[in-house]
Amino acid sequence: MKKKVIVACGGAVATSTVAASKVVELCKKNGVDIEICQCRISEIESNLPADLIITTSKVKRDYGVPLITGMPFISGVGVEKTEKAILDVLRG
Amino acid sequence: MIWQELNEALVLPGIDAPSSDEVMRKVGGAFIREGYAKDSYVDALIAREKDFPTGLDIDGVGVAIPHTDVSHVIKQGVAIATLREPATFVQMGTDDETVGVSLVFMLCVIEPNEHLEQLKKIIAIIQDKKVLTAILGCKDPQSIIEIIKNKEESL
Repeated sequence: MKKKVIVACGGAVATSTVAASKVVELCKKNGVDIEICQCRISEIESNLPADLIITTSKVKRDYGVPLITGMPFISGVGVEKTEKAILDVLRG
Repeated sequence: MIWQELNEALVLPGIDAPSSDEVMRKVGGAFIREGYAKDSYVDALIAREKDFPTGLDIDGVGVAIPHTDVSHVIKQGVAIATLREPATFVQMGTDDETVGVSLVFMLCVIEPNEHLEQLKKIIAIIQDKKVLTAILGCKDPQSIIEIIKNKEESL
């Protein structure tokens, strides 16, 4: 079944655009069927339900959905670990 | 390619900007002067940075990528500045961890999905510590543009 992934940042301008494209590439490569929703942090709630939320900003709220930081896609540090965590959630 | 579009008036080596607000005023001000951004751009950058900080610690090199809402932008562009003394920024993805930033890539983004390839290239550039260190050693805009060009050609 297609999984819905929300990728959010402060303004949906730069970092979430890059992170979303990396997530799409990752899932394509691994045969995971996803629907991406790119938005601002403030718009996460209105885009629920989802199977996974990835953000490049700090989020304190609990949306009741697994949340993974997409910061490694920007900093380049810890990308493999993040990719594994994303795939674990989506395949789980 | 980013380097071809880099406007020398937006490449600012060795500026004096002791705080993140001052970075926004100096580098954002260059965007406004050059017609890339509206007068509201600098205040919008400062406000957004408080809510969604853009500092990054790339293996010991402090980099910031300030940007703000498309409504303050006139046309797409990248500005690059190196700071004489590091300015304190909060790290992206946190609300209290700081980093001393020496290198700033400021972005004017209008239509993110159309400029995805450009954005990805900028991210690839800032993830390369060797490139960052080389840029920090530059004294004039032309040598910074040359480094970006060489890096882009290797991507």
